[in-house]
Amino acid sequence: MNSNRIIHLLSWFCLFYALSIVNPLFASEILTIGAIPDQKPEKLNRLYNLLALELSSTLNVPVRYIPVTNYPAAVTAFRTKGIDLVWFGGLTGVQARLQTPGAIVLAQRDIDKTFRSVFIANTKSGIEVVSSQSDLLNLKGKRFTFGSESSTSGRLMPQHFLQQTGITMKDFKGGRAGFSGSHDATIALVQSGSYDVGALNEQVWLDNVKRGRVNGDKVVRIWRTPTYVDYHWLAQPGLDQRFGRGFTNKLKKSLLALSYNSPRHKQILDLFGARKFIPADKQQYNDIEKIGRQLGKIR
Amino acid sequence: MNKLLVLKDVYVRGCNQHRLKSINLSVNYGETIAILGKSGAGKTSLICVLNGTLHPDSGTATWTDQDIKALTSRQRKEIGTLWQDLRLVEELNVEQNINSGALGSHGFFWAVRNLLGLIDSNSSAKCLNAVGLSDVYLNRPIKKLSGGQKQRVAIARLIMQNPRILLADEPLSNLDPILATDMLAFILGRSKNGLFQYHQQQTSIVTLHRPDLISEFNRVVGLKDGQIIFDSIPSRISSSEISFLYT
Amino acid sequence: MRRYTLSPVLFCFLPALSLIPVLYCVIRDIHGGGLYLLRDFFLAAFQPSLEVSVLNSALKGLQITISIALVSWLVSMFFGIIFALLSSKIFWNPYSINDWRANFFKRILVLPRSIHELIWGLILLQFFGLSPFVAILAISIPFTSIIARVLSEQFDTLDSRDLIALRHTGASSFTAFLTALLPDILPIINSYGGYRLECALRGATLLGVFGLGGIGTEMQLTLQSLEFKEFWTSLWILGLVVISLERFLIWTQKDTSNHSHLKKRLFVNILLISIPFIAGFIWLDVFDYNRYSTLHFSLVHLPNLSDIRIAFYTIPILEHLVSTLALTLLAAGIAIGIAPLALITWPTRLGSLLQGFLWAFFRLVPSPLLLLLLLLCTSPTVFVAALALGLNNLGVMGRLLQERLSQQNKECYWALLSSGAGLRTAWLYGAFCPQSKSYLAYAGYRTDVILRETASVGVVGGIGFGWQLQESLSSFAWAEVLLVVAVYSVLTLIGEMVSENLSSNWIKSNTITLQNNPKEVNFSS
Repeated sequence: MNSNRIIHLLSWFCLFYALSIVNPLFASEILTIGAIPDQKPEKLNRLYNLLALELSSTLNVPVRYIPVTNYPAAVTAFRTKGIDLVWFGGLTGVQARLQTPGAIVLAQRDIDKTFRSVFIANTKSGIEVVSSQSDLLNLKGKRFTFGSESSTSGRLMPQHFLQQTGITMKDFKGGRAGFSGSHDATIALVQSGSYDVGALNEQVWLDNVKRGRVNGDKVVRIWRTPTYVDYHWLAQPGLDQRFGRGFTNKLKKSLLALSYNSPRHKQILDLFGARKFIPADKQQYNDIEKIGRQLGKIR
Repeated sequence: MNKLLVLKDVYVRGCNQHRLKSINLSVNYGETIAILGKSGAGKTSLICVLNGTLHPDSGTATWTDQDIKALTSRQRKEIGTLWQDLRLVEELNVEQNINSGALGSHGFFWAVRNLLGLIDSNSSAKCLNAVGLSDVYLNRPIKKLSGGQKQRVAIARLIMQNPRILLADEPLSNLDPILATDMLAFILGRSKNGLFQYHQQQTSIVTLHRPDLISEFNRVVGLKDGQIIFDSIPSRISSSEISFLYT
Repeated sequence: MRRYTLSPVLFCFLPALSLIPVLYCVIRDIHGGGLYLLRDFFLAAFQPSLEVSVLNSALKGLQITISIALVSWLVSMFFGIIFALLSSKIFWNPYSINDWRANFFKRILVLPRSIHELIWGLILLQFFGLSPFVAILAISIPFTSIIARVLSEQFDTLDSRDLIALRHTGASSFTAFLTALLPDILPIINSYGGYRLECALRGATLLGVFGLGGIGTEMQLTLQSLEFKEFWTSLWILGLVVISLERFLIWTQKDTSNHSHLKKRLFVNILLISIPFIAGFIWLDVFDYNRYSTLHFSLVHLPNLSDIRIAFYTIPILEHLVSTLALTLLAAGIAIGIAPLALITWPTRLGSLLQGFLWAFFRLVPSPLLLLLLLLCTSPTVFVAALALGLNNLGVMGRLLQERLSQQNKECYWALLSSGAGLRTAWLYGAFCPQSKSYLAYAGYRTDVILRETASVGVVGGIGFGWQLQESLSSFAWAEVLLVVAVYSVLTLIGEMVSENLSSNWIKSNTITLQNNPKEVNFSS
């Protein structure tokens, strides 16, 4: 190797290094936001910056989007003040609020008030459409999969409804239920036949049906669960101290102001699969907390 | 047809220069040939070309009129080599090594059975006894043997292989005088009374470092810088020709 | 009466027997629906997505992964070498066989390495939240301890006579140590350090799969959404980097062993250290991980004794224990047995080239993702998880075997071939036999690694301690977490002891080669 060239390279490195050290010193307080996409995360993660830009322009503070792919990590990041505003699922939001007292529920989507999960089955498994909840007993002895461990629509509520009917996890084939890791993966694994039955977020299911990614010959919906409350925006306590009085309120208003009529806003709302955001309150999530405790997901 | 091995116009390239240049050599049945030359003259390369482990860059090497490259394993078995570094498999015991001489006439599963120690040890014991070692050594790992013992095991492996022609690369270097005499007798196929209780009419090609033994052979080939300088019977070779080899 | 001499050669093939139950169960459960997906997956290899946004995020992910790997490698090498010195008796006292200070450090270092970097990552995540420093810390802690152990073992095999002579001239212990042993130590550090860098890269990718950012995250997300073309974009890019790193490391080792020039070696070492140092930190900065504000420590609610007692009764420890052990043995069998089996079935040059590609694929795709891929076309059982974990490690074993075989001289092989042995027989006797003992010794270490790695497939497969840990963590049940980690680390410690005893038998008979060539035991754990 040519030693001159190495020295040349090294000095460039040093220069960059020096510049990058200086840079953060001038930075002001940054609002960090995070979200766990419930589908197509590989694509959406690249687009969430749109929301950061939008908030930054309406609030007049620098906003940074932090991609989060793991539910417990988001809860912890929220507790450690790593993220200021997080798009949580029902269960993870409750977990986060219990670990971060004073956290404020800001808003939810129009669809979150009456959210549902669906149970889907591989057609070859011979499972018939469930007409009443007690028919779920037919699922005993089948290979069953949830989505991710901490998902409200992909695990908590489906497990709750199963237990209500009298099915425990031990009743499934293999003595346990699987965890596919995501709603998309649940569809794929049930459609391919790895699992007979799976439970997932209805919105993701409908979206996949709409985009033609579901093969109706191979996988069918067998049940819609009753409704429950799901996703919401949760903000750190004490944002007002950091960004000025009334900031939390302003933040809430900017979220609620996103309108489907504006093309730019529509893009953002589409990311969340929403027509608009509506105000939400922590009282709404009391049932989720109760169920979470029953199933051991909240201690 | 008496010709066993024939090299025609063989060239082998080395790093900077040719290791072998324009080699023409034919070996007849029953001949014992000594190859003389100082180290680096191309003796080992020549042996490697003869046994097929080194393919010539140009020219042809044939064994009983067939290209050496294309020999079947049974035909390759007919060419036996005593390597300078012996090339025993150190991880195996004496018996397994001796048996490995017979791999050419058996299949893969025989080889596996040999690794398991399931091959009848009669024939390997005979070969071992023929080189003057007792049955006790059959189960010894090669690592525990002395240099001389290893050389004998290598010969026992050759006896097991039972080749029609014997190639030997510097077999006499590093041997004590008595063993060297016995070894030479074995190579030349006259070891009735020596250490090796084994006799067969041999065709053999032996590379030698020392010129004093050439009278024992019936043909001598002189190699210098990869080229054949002379090729005739020992009595016709003058001492000046030999000293030219070593300049 | 005949005595069976079971040579180590055949021992290397025996583990492949575990393939029989695994393949039986996997193939029995295979279903057509998934085979289409699998076909799509492999077809996508030839048409990776070249969309700008996909390429951008793959490249960004790659840089994050590399910077995490570089920095954690650097940290662990630094502390690893220090602890290696502290725990080698030759450093404290070249005269004695045993030194209590060395033993003290040796004992302390056992704990950090009993927990796999993935588990460190998942736990540290709970204390520090999302930050690349979690990944760096998670890799550095166990790596430091592993490096310290391997290097100190190596140091203790060094010849201490020079050192003793220098000590007699009145040199202080540290300077004497440096002057006498540096020329011997540097090549060891050099080659082992290189291997560790590869491990760090694999570790950083695996942590990414669990949400810690980088190309692993990218691969996990795209695979889970069945965007195979985008998955292959990341995989090709990662492959390119990993393979060139492997080639580069082989090159540096070759280069230094030819000229055992101390100066040159020092130069290479300094180069190897300074480039990652600068590049790693720059990348971390460029990627906006604000290193001044992201590390927030936050203590969690610590469990009390009665919580732990309750956890003891709620967690099916025995069940997890059995499935973890079954997983380990099956996976180890696949990883150890298949590499030589494949080479003996197809020993030609083309065969080993194709095998090389296949091993690279297995090595590059983290085991949880291999499992996810397998699950597309078969039903979830312990056997599938074992297959995924086994194949991932097969990637490492297969490459190691090929590399060793290509480095050893082939004289015996040629000799046997020329005496009439067939291609396979000659390979078995002449090429593989000389490798078999060190291969087995390494296989022992690898089994130990596999035991620790069971956590990574357990999470996806719902099997063993890995799954239990994830479940307890996502419920923030600290008593359970504590218990699971404790039991798991006791298990890995026992595993380490067993594998050490097993492989020390093979190593003992190989001591001479070990001392001549430090690379022989380089790859332990």
